[in-house]
Amino acid sequence: MKTPELSRRQRALANCAPINEERIRDRFMRAAVFRARSSSEFENQQSFDRALATLVRSIPIPPETAEWFSGKDLISPSRWTWKKTARNPVVLAIGIALTVIAGVFVFHFVGRLNDFPGSGTARKLLGIAGSTRSVVLDPVNADAGTLSDLFFLKHALEHYDVPAEFVDFRTIGCRVFEDDQSQRIAQIWVVEKRMQFFLFPAERNVKTGAVLKFEGWRYVHQEGWVGAVTERNGVCFMVALRGREKDLAPYLAKSKQ
Amino acid sequence: MLGDSVKAQEVFHTTLREAALRAAHGELPNEPFWLFRDARWRCLEATKTDLQAEPIEMEEQEIIASAGSQIERLEPRQLAIWISAAPEPQRTALALFYLDEFDYREIADLAELKLSELSRLLALGRRQFQAWLDATLPRRPTI
Repeated sequence: MKTPELSRRQRALANCAPINEERIRDRFMRAAVFRARSSSEFENQQSFDRALATLVRSIPIPPETAEWFSGKDLISPSRWTWKKTARNPVVLAIGIALTVIAGVFVFHFVGRLNDFPGSGTARKLLGIAGSTRSVVLDPVNADAGTLSDLFFLKHALEHYDVPAEFVDFRTIGCRVFEDDQSQRIAQIWVVEKRMQFFLFPAERNVKTGAVLKFEGWRYVHQEGWVGAVTERNGVCFMVALRGREKDLAPYLAKSKQ
Repeated sequence: MLGDSVKAQEVFHTTLREAALRAAHGELPNEPFWLFRDARWRCLEATKTDLQAEPIEMEEQEIIASAGSQIERLEPRQLAIWISAAPEPQRTALALFYLDEFDYREIADLAELKLSELSRLLALGRRQFQAWLDATLPRRPTI
């Protein structure tokens, strides 16, 4: 019979191969026995070991000692523990993978929780707010509330109105531009904390064309900027500034009063 | 391990008595094989005072296909004495291996051996036992 080529470790394992193959508990031993099985040397070793084990079992045990083992296992089966299971590389890998998947899922879920119709556009506009320089705006020194007429008369933009709580803010400049979806956006820069206002069309139902309304103010965040968005007459108004929600909150609280 | 049933019984009972005492004091080690480790240590202690076999070069012989039939002609006591006369840690390795209750990792752990050492000792033990078998129970001529 052809002797298979075994690595040094496999040869060492084959030398320690259990007498009963059902006792093989690890894959390295199983692989070594599988490879060695075809050799006559290994076959002789196994029959030699089996004969010796049979002889060992026939060694008489004094009755007073034997009764200790009656009906009992010599070794208690290893107990299942969380620690042992957690150390298993397969369980560890699955655990890490599940944690990552759960993390991504939670991240998206939390992101979705704050979503509202038009939140995507609002985020994009926050990006624009962060990169806009005042020179690209037409200089306008007026109250923000008066710009509604300008937008209507000059650009034919209906209902592009600044909410009552922000009408008294003095402006530095404004402009009207089209975004990547050809939506017309009005941008106003005010003196107060260098805030920016954006007016843009509210999101509509794709099938019916109806405006997707939402109540009150909703916050969006992007690259260190925070925006509060509200919808009125099919137009969304966003007030944006660099900072946190708490910086915007006092202005919105005024509106509730 | 001892080749003497009276000594073996003595070690067995001492080990169990000690285990019972430790259990009563709540001092049982949190390790699955401590009882076997303890029993082995007691066996080694018990044989320290015995007559020690002179270290001699034992003959070795490759295992043959008919070894099984040679072993069948042996008395269990002869095997027990042969194993108990083996030097440590080969004696522990052989005794635990042919008890057929432990896997190789457990044997290596109990006998404080590396896999390569355990493998070498078992392979050597087999060849030496085959040589002893050939000398004690000559092979039957095949027709």
